[in-house]
Amino acid sequence: MKNRLKEVIESLIFISLEPLTLEKIKNVLQEYPEKEVEQAIKELLESYVTNERGIQIIQSAGGYLFSTSPEHDLWIRRLFKLERKTKLSSAALEALSAIAYHQPATLAEISAMRGVDSTHTLKTLLQKKLIKIVGRKKSPGSPLIYRTTDKFLAYFGLTDIKDLPSPEEISKILEEEKDLEEEESSVH
Amino acid sequence: MDASATYQVRLEVFEGPLDLLLFLIRKKKIDIKDIPMATITREYLEYLDHKERINLDREAEFLLIASLLIYIKSQMLLPREKALDEGKDPRQILVDQLLDYQKIKAASLLLRKKEEDELQKWKRTALPSLFPEEETDFMEVSLFNLAESFFSLMTKKEKKKTRTIKRKEFSLEEKMKEIMAVLKENSFLDFLDYFSQQESFEEAFISFFSLLELIKSRIVIAIQKGPFQPIKVKLRQESYLKRKR
Repeated sequence: MKNRLKEVIESLIFISLEPLTLEKIKNVLQEYPEKEVEQAIKELLESYVTNERGIQIIQSAGGYLFSTSPEHDLWIRRLFKLERKTKLSSAALEALSAIAYHQPATLAEISAMRGVDSTHTLKTLLQKKLIKIVGRKKSPGSPLIYRTTDKFLAYFGLTDIKDLPSPEEISKILEEEKDLEEEESSVH
Repeated sequence: MDASATYQVRLEVFEGPLDLLLFLIRKKKIDIKDIPMATITREYLEYLDHKERINLDREAEFLLIASLLIYIKSQMLLPREKALDEGKDPRQILVDQLLDYQKIKAASLLLRKKEEDELQKWKRTALPSLFPEEETDFMEVSLFNLAESFFSLMTKKEKKKTRTIKRKEFSLEEKMKEIMAVLKENSFLDFLDYFSQQESFEEAFISFFSLLELIKSRIVIAIQKGPFQPIKVKLRQESYLKRKR
C-alpha cells in the first residue's frame, strides 16, 4: 500500500506545471494520514537520488517539481534549437537583489541604493513577473511598493525567501574578492 | 590565469557611478571607511573623461556622484572652530551608500550563480514549442476587435479606482521602441497582459496608438487562434524577409 502512495505522489508532481506544495499533496490525499504522506514523499525523493535517471524532483518556490538533470542541458538546447537561455541583465539582477533584501521597496529606494535610475529595469522585471506591485507607500506622492514573486524564487531555485544568500555568504564573497586582489598585486 | 586577462574583464562598462567608485576604491586599495577624498575625486573625474568607459545613458548619474564627491571634499577642507565629531564625518553618507551597494552587488553575483545553475535544469513550466506555431494557424485580429478589447480593459481598470498623481510625458516613438524591444526579446506580446501593466490611462493610450502605428506600417501583426482567444502581437515575418531582400 505504501508503495502505491509514493507512485500517486509521483504522478501528482509529474502532472502539475507549477511547483506542487506539500499542502496541496496532503489535500488531494486526504484519506491518508499526513505522516504517511510525508514519509512517502521522502522515499520518493530518495528513489530519485539513488536511481539512474535523467529527470529529478527538485524543491522550488515552496513545492516539488520535475526538472531535467543539469548535465543534459546541451542536448535539450539542441532539441529546441536554442543557443542558450537568455539570462537577466546585470542591471536587472542588481535591482532584484536590492528588492529581495529590502522589500517592500519603492522605485526611489531601489534607485538610491543602486545610484542609478531604475524605472526601466523595474518595468522589465514586472513584465517578467519576477516582482509585483503590492500597494502604495503612505508617504508623499504615495509611491508604488514592490516585492519579489514566487516566480522569482522558482527562477533562482529558492524554496523560500529565507533561502536568499545570507549576510555571511555575502561577506564571504567580499572577503574572497579582497584576497584575490591581494594575490594579484603580489604577482605584479 | 593571465593577470592582464583578469584586468580586461574589470574594465567593462560600469553599471553606475557606485560601481565605478567601488572599482577605484579596490584598485587603489583604499579602506572604504577612510576614503581619501582628494585622491578618489581626482581618480573618479579622470575616469569620466574617458566617456567610452561609462554607460552614456547614465551620464547624469555619474555627474551627480561627482558633485557629491566634490561637496564632501570641500566640507573636509573647510576650517572649523571645533574639530568634527566622530559621528559627523561628511563622508559618512557616501560610505553608507557604498557599503550597501557593495552588499547588493555581491548578492547579485550569488544570484547570478544560482541563475546559471537553475537555467540548466529544464522544467516543463515554460518550454519552447518543438513545432513553432505557423502564422497561418492564426487569424489576424481586426482593428475593431483590437480596439474593443482595449477599451473593455480600460473600463475594467477605471472601476478599480486608480489615482494618478505623477505626470509624465510618453512619446509615440519611445513606446514603439519599447514594444519592439519586448518583441525582440520574447517571441510575442500578450495584448491584455501588456496593457494591464500600464500605470496610467495616458500611458496605455499612447501604447495603444503606438501599437496601431506598428500594425499599420506592417511591422507587427495582431493575431488570435479564434474568436475570444487571447490576442497576441508578433513581428511580421514577411516584413523581415522584405527587408532582407
